[in-house]
Amino acid sequence: MKSIEAAPRKPADRPDGKDPLKRAAAAAWRCLKRCAPLLLALALLALTGCAAARKGGPYSIYLISKSTSTEFWKSVFAGANAAKSEYNVDLTILGPETEEDYEEQNAYIRQAVAAGADAIVFSAISYTGNAQAIDEAVAAGVRVVIIDCDVDSDGVSVRIGTDNVAAGRMTGAAAVDTAADEIVVGIVNCFVETRNCQERESGLREALSGNARVKDIYVVNVPTDAQKAKLAAEQLIREHPEINVLVGFNEPLAVGVAEAVDELGLSGQVRAISFDTNMRCIELMQTDAVGALIVQNPYAMGYLGVEKAWQVLQGKKFDAHELIDTATQIVTKENMFTMESQKALFSFS
Amino acid sequence: MKRERMSMNLIMVLAMAAVAICVLACALVIFVRTYRSALIRNAETTSRQAIAQVSSTMEEYLDDMNGSVALLSEYLELPVQQRQTRFETFLEIRPDVVAVTTYDEAGQMKNCYSLGRRLRGHILQNLSLDAARLDLYADGYISAPHVMSIFEESYPWVVTLIEPVSTNEGERWVAVDIGCSNISGYINGVGIGQRGYCFLEDMDGNLVYHPQQQLIYSDLKQENTALTASLSDGSHVEGNTIYTVQTLSSGSWRVVGVSSVQELITDGLQEVLRISILSALFILAATLLLSVLLSRLLSQPIQNLVSAMRSFEKNADDFSYEPVSGVREVQNLSVSFEHMVRKIQKLMAKVRSEEVNLRKTELKALQAQINPHFLYNTLDSICWMCEQGRNTEAVSMVNALARLFRISISRGHELIPIRSEVQHAQSYLQIQSVRYKERFSYEFDVEERCLDYFCNKITLQPIIENAIYHGVNGLVDEGRIIIRVLEREDDIFFIVEDNGVGMAPEQVAEIFRRKPDGRSGIGIRNVNDRLRIWFGEKYGITIVSVPDEGTRVTVRMPKVREEIGYEKH
Repeated sequence: MKSIEAAPRKPADRPDGKDPLKRAAAAAWRCLKRCAPLLLALALLALTGCAAARKGGPYSIYLISKSTSTEFWKSVFAGANAAKSEYNVDLTILGPETEEDYEEQNAYIRQAVAAGADAIVFSAISYTGNAQAIDEAVAAGVRVVIIDCDVDSDGVSVRIGTDNVAAGRMTGAAAVDTAADEIVVGIVNCFVETRNCQERESGLREALSGNARVKDIYVVNVPTDAQKAKLAAEQLIREHPEINVLVGFNEPLAVGVAEAVDELGLSGQVRAISFDTNMRCIELMQTDAVGALIVQNPYAMGYLGVEKAWQVLQGKKFDAHELIDTATQIVTKENMFTMESQKALFSFS
Repeated sequence: MKRERMSMNLIMVLAMAAVAICVLACALVIFVRTYRSALIRNAETTSRQAIAQVSSTMEEYLDDMNGSVALLSEYLELPVQQRQTRFETFLEIRPDVVAVTTYDEAGQMKNCYSLGRRLRGHILQNLSLDAARLDLYADGYISAPHVMSIFEESYPWVVTLIEPVSTNEGERWVAVDIGCSNISGYINGVGIGQRGYCFLEDMDGNLVYHPQQQLIYSDLKQENTALTASLSDGSHVEGNTIYTVQTLSSGSWRVVGVSSVQELITDGLQEVLRISILSALFILAATLLLSVLLSRLLSQPIQNLVSAMRSFEKNADDFSYEPVSGVREVQNLSVSFEHMVRKIQKLMAKVRSEEVNLRKTELKALQAQINPHFLYNTLDSICWMCEQGRNTEAVSMVNALARLFRISISRGHELIPIRSEVQHAQSYLQIQSVRYKERFSYEFDVEERCLDYFCNKITLQPIIENAIYHGVNGLVDEGRIIIRVLEREDDIFFIVEDNGVGMAPEQVAEIFRRKPDGRSGIGIRNVNDRLRIWFGEKYGITIVSVPDEGTRVTVRMPKVREEIGYEKH
């Protein structure tokens, strides 16, 4: 813009003698100048209005899971992939074969950081063991979204998953939902470093404490593996034949527990309470080996994990201490074929 | 204080800008609205077309499926042993059919054909056919979507077609389960706009197939199926969403297209809006420029005219008019103004000369007047001298009187040599000194060089008269009057001094105001006026007077060599 009005206009210039025309023209100019930023802004807005898209290519998001083999995780991946195509991000899914190998997870985290990931959607096998790798990733500028299983890090942007304590309480409610006068609970749980199982157990204990029908609670800790869980459950039942409720706190453990009840021919006498929607558990619920399924929403975890990662990268702020709760529900033999349960239990695609 | 009014220029610029902005804004709003509704109409059309396409494929699909059921009914007429291969072949070529199941009259399962799936030993609940509702199926039936619950470890989402049959094996119903996800091919690829989609629902609003069915089942997305189920066929704009609904001719399912008005506006309108705003800005700028130019063209000449009028107002005499250029109206105004200026100047000159003439006539009349008291007194003095035999004195008096009148008349000339004026004054004083014997003495102090210049006649006499009557006459002692004539640079000065009673400033002022009356002859005021008319404002009379000390009257006039055109005026 030309500086037409370099000289400041003193009010003393105003009285007659000065050319009123020039005054008018100057007034018009002033008017124009005053409006100019507005007009310019409007023009810019108009020019850039729809070009609000971000710079560069799509975001690179890594999903590092606890396992790649269970139906739970397959469902998570399906949800993540749905979000991937919806938000047009590059999604890489990495995960160890079994749910015990947090070192391998750490290696994946470092691999993702080295590959220039913008965000990592992560589920921790070990609350403490994965903390350092996550802290390093955060320090490298990678945003971290936790799904399903928490890690001990302050750098996490969003936490999504089941409210595990509430799910534990739900398990407790399912455990006492029986005609038996005396209830003895056997728990097959994973090792202490996996956060969600411990929270579920504490929720369960909270729900059962003070219930006079609950006579005893026995716990056995095993690696997260169906076969090992089954053997441990059989062992537990042999040692404590009075057990009439058996709880498996995640999918492999639940399968192991259910199969133990089935194979020991205790269907109807011992009620297995299983987490997640493994086909075996669904089958065994129809033959009374499984008394109740605690159904999480892994598809939502996967979908929301990628969606929130994208939103965080877009600059949205979340309270990381406020868990985004994916709904959990109890399904029993009685209600397993209602429309609601069908939607929760059976994947559409 | 009154606020300064806005100039014409500013008003014009502002008015034009305001009009331009208003018109542009209106145009923009109307345009955007029209464009928006056109976009929506267009989207509705596209949507309807897409939905019609999907509907016809879906109808074909259902027809095909009905044909298949008819074919299956034919197969069922064969004995159970011979069916197997037929059914297997059928299921192989129709992978969208998950299972074919037959039931007896009571709804008990008779035979089930499915590839790669194992029938459960104990079926908890059969969702495909409800034995309690057989009467519902009499004319053929399409179920709501559900999970197949009769196989081990396989729970596909299906819709079930049920037809009544009659076979030798006692089978009364055949149920064909069609996998919902197999319909994806007909639905998934259909886009409406950029993010629009369509889905299939049954008449109760149950989703048969939705591109995001799993998201909806996981509560991550919502589809307002209650709303869509209530909509009639056609396009509906609900809030920001356009729903296009078409019910299939079989009357069992409907295809629903969903597209977002918001998306249309953000994507379609934004571009248009951008262009519109840009062009609006250009138009606005052009209008402003044009209005500035226009107002310059109109108001500059008017401003010139105004300043010309102002300077004319200040100094009408010396004003010389420069014509103003501009549009025709302004030029007319300018020409009229010029005429007016000329006329006024002419009138002013005329008025001035008339006034001068009037004054001169008046003066002439006054000059012609002989103060009767003066004449009577003088003649009385002469008479008295004659009676006493003072003939020489009487002769001298008569001579003085005669000289007085002669010079007064001066053959009608206004300007006379100062010599004559001095003689006139001397004659007057000679006469007056007889009348006021012993009351005052007088003295002339005249520079010789001045005598040949000219002056207005009867300039000194009224001043001397004043000095006698209002100065020395009131004295107890003998008064003294001194008359000086002297030159200073280009001017001649007459100075009349007396040592009389003097005058207060009010009296001095009164002298300049007083009209001549019979007694006082021409009067000082007249002398002053005459000097000014003749020679200009810088000339005239000044009076310095101190009470009890005396008065000094000074007459200032230019050096006039000869009598300049008395006749001229």
